[in-house]
Amino acid sequence: MADDNKWRASEEEEDEELDENDYKSQKDAILFAIDVSHSMLKPPPASTSKKADKDSAVLAALKSAYQVMQQRIISNPKDMMGIMLFGTEKSRFQEDSGRPYPHCYLFVDLDIPSANDVKALKYLVEDGDDPAQVLTPSEEPVTMANVLFCANQIFTTKAANFGSRRLFIITDNDDPHALDKQARSAAAVRAKDLYDLGVVIELFPIRCGDSQFDLTKFYDDIVYRDPAQEEDLERFKASKSGDGLSLLSSLVSNINSKQVAKRAMFSNLPFEIAPGLRISVKGYNIIHSQKPARTCYVWLDGETPQLAVGETTRMADESTRTVEKTELKKAYKFGGEFVHFSPEEQKEIRSFGSPILRIIGFKPRKLLPFWAAVKKPVFLFPSEDDYVGSTRVFTALWRKLLDSDKMGVAWFVARSNSSPILVAILPSNPQPSGDEELDSGTPFLPAGLWLHPLPFADDLRDGPDPPKEPLRAGEELTKKMRVIVQQLQLPKAMYNPKKYPNPALQWHYRILQALALEEEVPEEPDDATLPKYKAINNRAGGYIQDWSEKLHDDARALNLSIGGGVKREPGDDDKPAKKARSLSKTTGVKKEGTPGAVDIAGLRRSAQAGTVSKMTVAELRDALAGLKLPTTGKKAELIERMESWAEADN
Amino acid sequence: MADKEATVYILDLGSTMGDCNSGRVESDLTWSMRYVWDKIGTTVAASRKTWCVGVIGLRTTDTFNPLQEDDGYDNISILQPLAAGGMTMSHLRELRKKIFVHDDQNAGDAVSAIVVAVDMIEHFTKKLKYKRKIVLVTDGMEPIDGDDFDEIAKKMGDSGIELVVLGVDFDDPDYGYKQEDKPKIKKRNEELLSQLCDQCGEDNAVFGTMAEAIDDMSSRPRLKPMRPYKNYDGLLTLGRSDGKGDDDDPPPKSISISVERYFKTHLAKPVSATTVVARMDDALLGGRSSADGDVDMDGAGGPGLTPVHNARTYKVPDASAPGGKKDVEFDALAKGYEYGRTAVHISESEHNITKLETTKSFTIVGFVPWDRFEPFLLIGECCQTIASRFMETSSLALSSLINALWELESFAVARIVAKDGKEPQLVLLMPGPTSSPECLYDVPLPFAEDVRNYQFPPLDKVVTISGATLAKHRNLPSDDLLDAMGDYVDAMDLSSFPGKGGDDEETEDEDGDGEEEEYCAIEATYNPTIHRFNAAIRTRATQPDEPIGEPSKVLLQYSHPPEDLVAKAKPTIDDLIATSEIKKVPPKIKGRKGRGAGKSAAQLESEKPLSGLDIDALLSSTPAPVASSASTGTVTGDPSQGTMKVEASQSQNLTVDPENSIPTFKQALRHTTSPEQVSSLVSSLGNITRELITDSLGDVNYDRAAENMRVMRDEMIAFEEPGLYNAFVKDLKKKVLSGELGGDRREMWWQIRGEKLGLITEAESEVGDTTAVDAREFYTSR
Repeated sequence: MADDNKWRASEEEEDEELDENDYKSQKDAILFAIDVSHSMLKPPPASTSKKADKDSAVLAALKSAYQVMQQRIISNPKDMMGIMLFGTEKSRFQEDSGRPYPHCYLFVDLDIPSANDVKALKYLVEDGDDPAQVLTPSEEPVTMANVLFCANQIFTTKAANFGSRRLFIITDNDDPHALDKQARSAAAVRAKDLYDLGVVIELFPIRCGDSQFDLTKFYDDIVYRDPAQEEDLERFKASKSGDGLSLLSSLVSNINSKQVAKRAMFSNLPFEIAPGLRISVKGYNIIHSQKPARTCYVWLDGETPQLAVGETTRMADESTRTVEKTELKKAYKFGGEFVHFSPEEQKEIRSFGSPILRIIGFKPRKLLPFWAAVKKPVFLFPSEDDYVGSTRVFTALWRKLLDSDKMGVAWFVARSNSSPILVAILPSNPQPSGDEELDSGTPFLPAGLWLHPLPFADDLRDGPDPPKEPLRAGEELTKKMRVIVQQLQLPKAMYNPKKYPNPALQWHYRILQALALEEEVPEEPDDATLPKYKAINNRAGGYIQDWSEKLHDDARALNLSIGGGVKREPGDDDKPAKKARSLSKTTGVKKEGTPGAVDIAGLRRSAQAGTVSKMTVAELRDALAGLKLPTTGKKAELIERMESWAEADN
Repeated sequence: MADKEATVYILDLGSTMGDCNSGRVESDLTWSMRYVWDKIGTTVAASRKTWCVGVIGLRTTDTFNPLQEDDGYDNISILQPLAAGGMTMSHLRELRKKIFVHDDQNAGDAVSAIVVAVDMIEHFTKKLKYKRKIVLVTDGMEPIDGDDFDEIAKKMGDSGIELVVLGVDFDDPDYGYKQEDKPKIKKRNEELLSQLCDQCGEDNAVFGTMAEAIDDMSSRPRLKPMRPYKNYDGLLTLGRSDGKGDDDDPPPKSISISVERYFKTHLAKPVSATTVVARMDDALLGGRSSADGDVDMDGAGGPGLTPVHNARTYKVPDASAPGGKKDVEFDALAKGYEYGRTAVHISESEHNITKLETTKSFTIVGFVPWDRFEPFLLIGECCQTIASRFMETSSLALSSLINALWELESFAVARIVAKDGKEPQLVLLMPGPTSSPECLYDVPLPFAEDVRNYQFPPLDKVVTISGATLAKHRNLPSDDLLDAMGDYVDAMDLSSFPGKGGDDEETEDEDGDGEEEEYCAIEATYNPTIHRFNAAIRTRATQPDEPIGEPSKVLLQYSHPPEDLVAKAKPTIDDLIATSEIKKVPPKIKGRKGRGAGKSAAQLESEKPLSGLDIDALLSSTPAPVASSASTGTVTGDPSQGTMKVEASQSQNLTVDPENSIPTFKQALRHTTSPEQVSSLVSSLGNITRELITDSLGDVNYDRAAENMRVMRDEMIAFEEPGLYNAFVKDLKKKVLSGELGGDRREMWWQIRGEKLGLITEAESEVGDTTAVDAREFYTSR
């Protein structure tokens, strides 16, 4: 698949807000290169422990690749992936280009994964189904130069102009050409080719037992510093079994940390910390709500179902004449007609100056209201590209904001012509290193500054009018609730998103996968977002009981009814008493009156305060029905009836 | 439910309104109309059929009003009667023509005009529910009959009419305006009108000076009123509330509270534009298609623009069809999803199969302390949850939860399904015990898939290659810098800085106690784009001849730090700048021909592998590539394969290998010693690129060709040889478009355009002579 409508899309791009259009065009391609050798295939030592490894290194590598493939279909549906095995007895290359490289077996060609790719990999890792015997190691060593050149050819032909191309080498052999200097040199030369091509090599060394993986023997000549990566030196963490971690989970965690190509949302944005003091920063979209892909149209009349690609022609409403793009204008409806501006004027109206992040002052963190949230944040990290010294100044600001619990307030124009917004600049805590006690609530986020978009007055909405005499819980009732809150803290007293996969998204792709692979559709979804009911009951059931009883007593003391018949849920018409029942059950109170129990005291109070008019007609009818009064007539009549009831009843 | 409105504007059109006063360069009428047009424009923009506007001209030459038979109603003309159906553009056009200064000396009693307006409103609104309002704009230069004020005020009170008197250069001590040398008559009129307003009562009448109204108009953009929107109405639960437990255990204990949930924040969007084209006939009439042009014409039929709609056609890949794609009928298409690159079709009967079945619910998952949570985990708009109204027990129950959270400084994490079948969302519940009514705020939280795993080096330390941790490094702030930053941040604290809503709004006593408003409080910040657009559209519609003008001051108020504060913090700013020692990197590091051209030391460093091995040296020191490949060959045991490949890359003789074009091109370039060699490399990469296009089946090779071009282009900029690339790409364009490269290659041309692979401009390479205009011209298809 060619790079679809990248350029056409960019022409039509209507600068909305911080969209990801630029970002999407930078696609990513990953090629896994997995070493298939005798040592890589060796099954782990037998063990009785449940947590012990069951997988050989090759299988662990393939399983990780399988996981990555499934994840990428969800998270990066336009990105490519491929799997090459090397050191195999068999050799295979791309279908149409014949000549394979010796002992290099292209198991899944580099492409957006298809259902068949997933299937083949799935059978291999789950059932050990290897009909083609691809997992048979060759007796003679593979030439690394060939492996690298094979990868070069795959990237050149399949992902020629991808912004990010990466080769993931998984091996346990730190010195493939120990005795052959010539072969080492050849590999180094091939690695340089890949570097010049723009392919980044990521190495995932596998260690078994106590042996070390010595990069200096071979791979230091192969691997280059990644220019896109900041000086991140702990690059090649060896994966190994032990410490309660299986080789698989160790490898998965190492691969996951590299899986997503790091893409900046904007680069070298001037960050004006003070008048006359600018540094440059990059912005990253670290938190981004992942949605299921939209539906598409499929053409079924061919041999295989095919995706139909839509093309749009624009036509004038009246004449159905096809319109050229240059004729199009933007206009605004005003008083039933169109008002429009010249393109220059349109631009002028939109423009609030060139991109900038400008601090206008600082405030204590506590001045940020809880509700001041409208959209996802942007992560900032310093860049030395435009201003040398950016990093240290950025760090100084970060430190200061952390130490004195302050936030910056800034005017933010993300790109030319994008709408300016105001943001709060907030620091995230340093990441805990190693086994250090977790002292921050967000150890899963990098350290840096975050832009938290603030609402404008335009974005604020009112709730309904408050009641005249609001009811507040007494000390005692609140105290009982406090115990419940204290009992039910989340693990580690923090919200860790990693623990909560999106159930709707996962279900969507699980079903889709089942359909695509022609497997059985699963019955029950996994939903980690559901509360742990049992634990809640065990830990707080008694306190909930206490609280409920106190609530009941307080309600009775205030002459409030506990039932809920007055308000009915829409669509709940057939069982108006449902809520009343569940409420009384859970609060341990016998419900009073009929199933349509009415909050009589509440109604009377409302009627006397004159707030009955705030009730909707439906609510009024319900209430009247509950009072066994006629429910017909206009709203005014209903209100009158209600008010006269309240008076009479007094 | 929409409120109905009847507003009558009384506009003084007497000759004195044509004068320019108080140092203004526009006439009093033009100046006052800024306010009136803004108001009327807002009404038109709202397109509400129930918002009716009437306009009365005062001191007009003619007399036209229903009371004209009586004495004292001369020179008062109804310019636009109150009419059902609201205010449209055509009304506006009609009205514009009628607003002008009537030059002859006309009398005209402002209060009589008010009586006419009252009469108009009463006739029109009858006893129905309306918001009634009269706005009088006058300079107060004609005598007013001061009798009957009691009666008039009472009548307005009875009819529920609000009176707004806005005088040109009227004195207003509250606003702080006083006109010097005020004519006697004006002084008297001001007193009379002010008296009338007093008699109407404070709640029903406003007496003010026009300057304040105009100021207010620009300093307090109007917010679009929004009705509360209830997006959840049901139970908030804790614990399993459906009574189901495991086995035969007693049913689990749970809490259920009846609640309603409303938006608290919701992103407001600027008015959306409609895509339109000029009507064909108008386009033929010499392109008089702009709205303003037509507003000036008789206005019948509107301004000649017609909406555009989209027609979609669908194609599928088909190798046998020309261009590799064929059209398919829409009816032959089924809905489906993409799974990777496989299209999965979902039959009509199963269209919900991928949707998770959910039931409406709002349930608490657990609790977290405030200090273990960061606001940058909030990823969306905020809602507020209150106890169901008319359910007093729920109020008590919710109140105890809100206050418990507040006292314990905790938040709750909850799962909400707003309606049956909707996707579950996790939200953070935050207590709002001080809001009225007490509420829980909630904002969506990210799921596991929503957090991207990007790695960043630590900010607070530098780790060297050898693994040592450095405490001092150019990337780490010195103690001096930390101190300077600390002083600066403290000096720029806004919380101690007086907040001002607009320009001079402190006198508002809404908050009573004289409590300082917060600077840049959210309630005082306005979305610049929304209000700039609204103002521009209003201006364009009501005053088409006027320029759009600058954005009003209030919209830019928070684009810079407050000047007073900056002045105060000046020493700390200077100190911070000095300590920071920031150096701007010059716009472009100039390229020089030859090896390492234009590369910084760091870049050169990164061109070596981690070991620092000099690959180029390795290549040059390898005497005979053939020999090396032979040895490699023997190792692989497959000479025909290994040999050929290795040889190609190691050949140092300045050629480009078609199979490995980009690396060999780059490597060879670094060894060039003369412009001729560069030129020959460019031409050989050019050949390879053209062949790729010529041999391409459909578009399969286009990406590769484009990538070759991109590399060539970048390298030629670095080598300061833009001419070589430009010559190549000009020639290629010709060949691509003329079909010389194996047929219809227009798609390739679009790709070149889309990827911006056109001419290298002067801006990109100083030695070039291609202007931006030429470069743009190049992208056109001819």
